Parts: sequence; C-alpha cells; structure tokens
Amino acid sequence: MDNIKQTVFDLLKDLTGTDFSANPDENLFATGTLDSMDTVQLLLGLQDELGITVPVSEFDRSEWETPNKIAAKAASLQ
Amino acid sequence: MQSTIIEAIDAVAMQEPNRPAIDVLGQVNTYGELKAASDAIAADLAVRPIAAKTPILVYCDQSFAAIAAFLGCVKAGHAYIPVDTHSPKDRLTMIEDIAKPALVIATVPLPLTLHTPTVTPEQLQATMQDGAAAPAPSLQGGDNFYIIFTSGTTGQPKGVQISLDNLASFVAWMADFNLPTQAKMLAQAPFSFDLSVMSLYPALTAGGCLKVLPKETTADLRQLVTALPDLDVDVWVSTPSFIEMCLLDPTFDAAHHPNLRQLFFCGEELTHKTAARLLDRFPAAELFNTYGPTEATVAVTAVRITQDILARYPRLPIGYAKPDTTLRLIAETAQQEGDRVIGELAIAGPSVSKGYLNRPNKTAAVFTTDRGVQAYRTGDLGYIEDDGLIFYCGRTDFQIKLNGYRIELEEVNHYLNLAPMIRQGVAVPRYNREHKVAALLAYVVPADPTVDPATLTTAIHEHLQGVMMAYMIPSRFEFKDSLPLTQNGKVAIKALIQEVNA
Repeated sequence: MDNIKQTVFDLLKDLTGTDFSANPDENLFATGTLDSMDTVQLLLGLQDELGITVPVSEFDRSEWETPNKIAAKAASLQ
Repeated sequence: MQSTIIEAIDAVAMQEPNRPAIDVLGQVNTYGELKAASDAIAADLAVRPIAAKTPILVYCDQSFAAIAAFLGCVKAGHAYIPVDTHSPKDRLTMIEDIAKPALVIATVPLPLTLHTPTVTPEQLQATMQDGAAAPAPSLQGGDNFYIIFTSGTTGQPKGVQISLDNLASFVAWMADFNLPTQAKMLAQAPFSFDLSVMSLYPALTAGGCLKVLPKETTADLRQLVTALPDLDVDVWVSTPSFIEMCLLDPTFDAAHHPNLRQLFFCGEELTHKTAARLLDRFPAAELFNTYGPTEATVAVTAVRITQDILARYPRLPIGYAKPDTTLRLIAETAQQEGDRVIGELAIAGPSVSKGYLNRPNKTAAVFTTDRGVQAYRTGDLGYIEDDGLIFYCGRTDFQIKLNGYRIELEEVNHYLNLAPMIRQGVAVPRYNREHKVAALLAYVVPADPTVDPATLTTAIHEHLQGVMMAYMIPSRFEFKDSLPLTQNGKVAIKALIQEVNA
C-alpha cells in the first residue's frame, strides 16, 4: 500500500507540480487541481506503473477525489 | 486550382450521390445531399446584397449543416470563418469586430445578437432543402478559402487567412500518404481548430467519409468509451491528448479495431511515451507525427514513428518538410547548443498564409518572403539534422500548448488582471517529464487578502468562465502577498516558471 501511495504522489507531483504527501485528503476536483485531461494522465500513469486497468465506463469521480482515495481504489483494482 | 477542392467533392457527388460523406454517430448524410445543400446555400448567398469576397462567419457545431455551410460559402466566392459553439460570447463579438463579416450563418442558435445580418438555423435548414443550383464558381487560387482565428495577445484574436492555393497544397500532400481508398477518417476536432481540416478535405476530396465524434461525446470519458467500440475508422486524426483518453479503454487496440491503418497526430507534441503505448496497441498501423502552425495550413512536416525511431530518439522528431516547402533556422536566432544548432524555425512554401485578416502590423511582424516565396516565422525553436529531419525544442516566447490548444500566457494574464477579485495575476505553465505543459497555474495577489482561498478560487473560476475560453483558464490558483519583479518592474515570469518546474 505504501508503494501505491508513493506512486500516486509521484504521478500527482508530475501532473500538477504539487506534492500532496502532506495533504493526502485534499479534494483534487473541488480545488480544480485535476481537470479531465489530468485525470486521463493519472489513470494512464496508474496503468503503466501498477499494471491496473481502470474500468472507465464505471468511473465515479467521488471514488477518486483525494490522493488517499486514489491509492485505495488503485489497490482494490490490483 | 479551382478544380482541386470543390470540384473534387462535387465530382464524387455526381458519380456516386448515395456514397456516405458525413457520419455523426450513425446519422449519415451522402455526397448527393452535401452537394444539393451547399449548392442551395451558395445560390441563396449569391442573391444577397453582400460584397464579393467578404468573409462569412459560420457559428457551428460539428454537423452536416456546418460542412454544407462551409462549402456553400466557398461556392459563392466567400471565405468562411468557423467559430465553434463552445466559444465564449466575447470571442464571437471580437471576431465580428475584427473580421467585419458580410453575414453570419448559424447552424445552432447564437448565444447573443450580433450587428451582422444572420441566417438562423431554421432559415439555413429551409435553404438547404430548396434545390437551387449553385452560381458559377468565382473563387480564385489566391482568394481566401477559410479564416481561422487563433488566440492573440491582450485578448485580440488573429484571423489566419488560408487561400484556396494554400489549402490545395496541403490536401495534395495528404494524398501522398497513401491513405486508404475512400478513407473513413475520424473528425474529432471542432471546426474552429484547424486540425479539423486534416480530416475534412483529405476525406471529402477523395470520396471518403468523415466519422464525427462530437464534443458532447468526447468531453465525457464514459460516453467516449461507450462510443469508441462502434467507431469504424481506418484513418485516425487527433491531438495526442485525445488519443490518450481513448487509451484508457483497454479494448482500444488492433484486435478490436482491425481496420485502423493510419494514425495522424498534430496540434501538440507527440510524446515518446504516448507513441510507444500506441505502437504497442497497434503494432501494424502507420503512426505519423506531424507539425505545423495554423499560419502554414495545418501541417508542413511529417514522419512515420516506428520502433526504430522510438529507439533512436528520446524526444520524437516532428518530421521532414513537405516537398513543396522549406523549413530553415532564422540565421540571427541560431545558436550552438552542444553538438546542435538550435534556432527559430521559419517556413516558406505555397501553404503559408498571406497573413492575418485586417491586422497589417501583426502580419508584418511574422510574415515575410524568402526568395520570393511566402514565409512565416513560427516562434518555435528547433534543429534540423543533416538529412532534413526536424526536431522541436520549445517556444521563443510565452506561448504554450495545453491539450492541443495554443495559449498565449499574456492573454491569460490580461484576463486575470481584469478580474475584480485579482489585484495582480500571472499564468505559469507547469511542464511534465515529457516536456509537455501538464497544467496552467496562476500566481495571484488577491484584491481582498481576507477572503479564504477556496472561496476566492471558486469566485475567480466563475468570473473567468464568462470571459475566456475554458481551455485557457488556469487549473490552480496560488495566492501570494506579492509577485517577484524583474529589474524593469515587470512580473518575473521566467523566475516563476523556474520555481514551478523546479
């Protein structure tokens, strides 16, 4: 799980320029940090780094809105 | 040259009137219908009291009516100015002010009243059905065929004038790629973005079919992945950002899309990572990276990206110049960097625009002639290998590309500084490891420092949505007490870019 969290922080840092390790519960959509193109990049990054496939047709933004939720969701898909 | 575009499309209509020309999510219109509708629109324009060769603004969605209106304008001897329905109202009035169009044709209702006489969607539909014959062709090779507005500094968009000769040069080059016969080409970009031209005329002049994925579908990931499996195209045209969205669908691969033979990318940098993912999914398809500014008609360089190219170049080449065109480094900008000479790229050739509509000063600043050939200074930095392969290395100014859209940071700054809740603001791009702009941030000194950041962010967002294109709005706002200044008292944008990208 720590590995997954670190991967999520790294991907978010690369995407947004912000290190979220101190604020893992920030709502990335409400603050405008992630737009739809960023979300795509994040999911592609998770595909590449963790070998998971996100079922986009069932994508529910509320399950992905914070770094912690992203890590938990990614772990459940592994 | 008159024969090249319009007559080629009409020839298909006369030989095979029932051949599908445009397919918008299963709603198909034929070449016969396209000819009848565009002829009738041209006939209607010809009897209106409008001056010859004045442009016509077409406010449009990605529909059959839009394409019929474009061709109708050209058949009546007028250039069309496509303005997408997702443009903000301000942009529409600014384009009207600069272009002074003779007429507005609206394929969907206008969001506001313009001064210019307007053909409503209902009137347009009635005209398209009336069966009138087209007037005699009058558009000459040097006359404008379309005018596409790009963003400009301080909020003033610039209208790039593309002549019939410019477009014919581009379309002839595209035919050299050995496109499948009567290609089914993806049409995803809105018509106000000149990437759309890469599908539009290469498909229609060759009897192909435009497979339109409208913005309403592509803006929603779930709708997109629902529509993708049924999308039967053999030629893909999009920005790299768009196909990245499609890659989220695990069935978007050669096994599920066996007919997909060629993929063309333009509008922003194709990264090594994305190209590698694509060759993995579509190992037998031909993947082309292309490059070109709107000012030189869509694209002027191309290269097939193979496993060999991926292995050789960590940052992909943008290609070789098309045969009728020269790209060279502007001598006074060229500098030795390591074993390379990097400089500003200039493009000279028959697809280079005559300049910006009604903006002689802006035109003179970047358009010139090179040995008698029309030439354009791109503002793009690059280097050219001995065999003519060209590489892009960034911008000379503060223009960026984000998700395929060209954004001038000064324009974003202009709007930030007009916002009542902002005392001073500056847009700062954040680059990722692939040298791509990943996000646009804004450093802002608030007018009222006591407002909390979340409330302020929401207020600024709401304000900016009313005045600027959605793609230009910074995704994140950092609030500061002051911004760093240069010795001249200007905001030290380069320092901020370094800070953000450290």
